Amino acid sequence: MESALGNEAVLVVLLFSTLAAGLSGLGTAPFCCSSEVPLTWIGWAYALASGLMLGAGYILMAAALGTSTLPVVFGGVVGVVYTYWTHAYSGTQELDTGPGENPSADYAIKFILLNSLHSASEGVAIGVAMVLNLSLGIFMALALAVHNIAEAMVLTDVLRRSRMSYGEMAGMAIVTNVPQILLAIVAFAVIPAIPGSLPWAVGFAVGALVYLVMTELLPASYERAGHTSIAFVVSFSTGGVVLLKGLFV
Amino acid sequence: MGEAVFYVFIFGLITALATGLGAVPFIFLRDVSIRTVARAEAVASGLMLGASFGLIIEGTKHGAWQTLVGAAIGVLFILAGHRYLEGREVSIGDIRGRSAKQILLILGIMTVHSFSEGVAVGVSFGGGEKLAALITIAIAVHNIPEGLAISAVMRPKGASVAACAGWSIFSSLPQPLMAVPSFLFVESFRLFLPYGLGFAAGAMVFMVFLELLPEAYEKCGKTPVGLLVSLTLGAMILFQRYL
Repeated sequence: MESALGNEAVLVVLLFSTLAAGLSGLGTAPFCCSSEVPLTWIGWAYALASGLMLGAGYILMAAALGTSTLPVVFGGVVGVVYTYWTHAYSGTQELDTGPGENPSADYAIKFILLNSLHSASEGVAIGVAMVLNLSLGIFMALALAVHNIAEAMVLTDVLRRSRMSYGEMAGMAIVTNVPQILLAIVAFAVIPAIPGSLPWAVGFAVGALVYLVMTELLPASYERAGHTSIAFVVSFSTGGVVLLKGLFV
Repeated sequence: MGEAVFYVFIFGLITALATGLGAVPFIFLRDVSIRTVARAEAVASGLMLGASFGLIIEGTKHGAWQTLVGAAIGVLFILAGHRYLEGREVSIGDIRGRSAKQILLILGIMTVHSFSEGVAVGVSFGGGEKLAALITIAIAVHNIPEGLAISAVMRPKGASVAACAGWSIFSSLPQPLMAVPSFLFVESFRLFLPYGLGFAAGAMVFMVFLELLPEAYEKCGKTPVGLLVSLTLGAMILFQRYL
C-alpha cells in the first residue's frame, strides 16, 4: 500500500470507528423520552444487534472466501475459542443477562466489561473490512454503529438501576466502545504488515461475532420478547445488511 | 431428463430416510436426555445456517433481488405453517391431550419444514451437481437430529422405536415429493432459481431462529449451544468448499 494513501486511509478508519463508537451514546435517548421502556424493546434491540452482526459476518465471510478457505475457517475457530476463553476468564460467562432486577455494583461492572470485550472483536471486524476494501469498511462501521446504539440501549437499561444520570450513561456507553476504535486502527495497521494474515483475521472477526451473537445476544433477546418477533427482527436485519451492502458497496 | 428426475427423487428419498436414523439411539437407550436433544438442535441450527449461507451466495450469483424476495416468501411460509398448527386440538393413536399435541406439533413443524427442504434439494440440482450433493448431504445430516428430536418427544410418551423411526421418515416424505416438481420447475424456468434458493435459505434461517435455537437455549444453556452452533457453522462452510 502507498504510504501517502495509507495515511489518509488510517484517518478514514479513525473517523468511522470513532463515529461508530460515538453514536452508541444515542442508545440512552429512548430512556430520556419515556420513563418506562418496554421490555420487548430491549429484546428487539438485542435481536437487531444480532442480525446486524450476523449480516456483517456474512459479508466479511463472503468477501474472504473468494481468496482462501482453510485459514478463514481456522481463524474462525480461533475467534470462537478466544471469545469463549475471555468470557470464562473474565467471569462474564455465566453472567445472567436476563430481564430480572439485579442492582449490585458487581453486576454493572461485569456488564460493562462484557460490552468492552464485545467491542474489541467488533473493532477487529471494522479494521479487517477496511483492509479488504475501504468502502466495505465504511459500510461495516456504519452497520456496527447502528448495532452499538441497540447495545447501548441494553447497557442503559442495566446502568439506570444504579441511578446514573443520562449523561453518565451515554458516556459509559461510548467508553465501552473505545476498544472498537483502538482495535480497528491496530488491525488496519498490522494486518497488511504481516503477509498472509488477512484471511486469519477475517475468520477471527467473524468467529468472534457469531459466537457473541449465539451465546450472548440471542439468548438475552429470547428472554425479553416473543420468539416470532425475535426471529423476524434477526432475519430481516441480517437480510437488510446484506441487501444494503449489495446496493451501495 | 427422465434419468435426472429419478436421481432427484432418489436424493430426496435419501434425505428422508436419514431422518429415521434419529430413532437409532433409542434402541440402546431407554430415553435420551433433554440435553442431548438440545445439543442436537444446536448442531442442526449450525448446519442449517451454514447451508443457508451457501444458498444465498449461490442465489445472489443468479439475481440478488430475486433471492431476497424468495427468502421473504420462505420466512412467511414457515410462519404460516407454524401459526396454522399452534391453536389446534389433536390426538394421535392412544396418546391424547398435551402429549399428543406436542408430538403432532413437532411432526407438523418438521413435515411443513420438509417441503422447503425438498425444494432446496430439487432446486439445488439447478445450481450444479456439487451444490446438489452438498445440499443433499447437509439436509440428510440435519434430518438425523430432527429425527432424534421427534423420537425424543414420542418415545417417552409410549411410542415404539419403530413408530419413532416411521414417523420421523414420514415427516421428511415431502422432500422427495417436493424435490421432483421443484427440480422440473427450475429446469423449465431458470429465472426462478434465485427465488427458490432464497426461499430455502429464508425458510431454514427463520426455522432456526423461531424454533430450534430458543428451544436449545432453554434446555441446555447459552454457552454450550453457542459453541456448538458456531463451530458447526464453521464446519459446514468448510464442507461446502471442499465437497
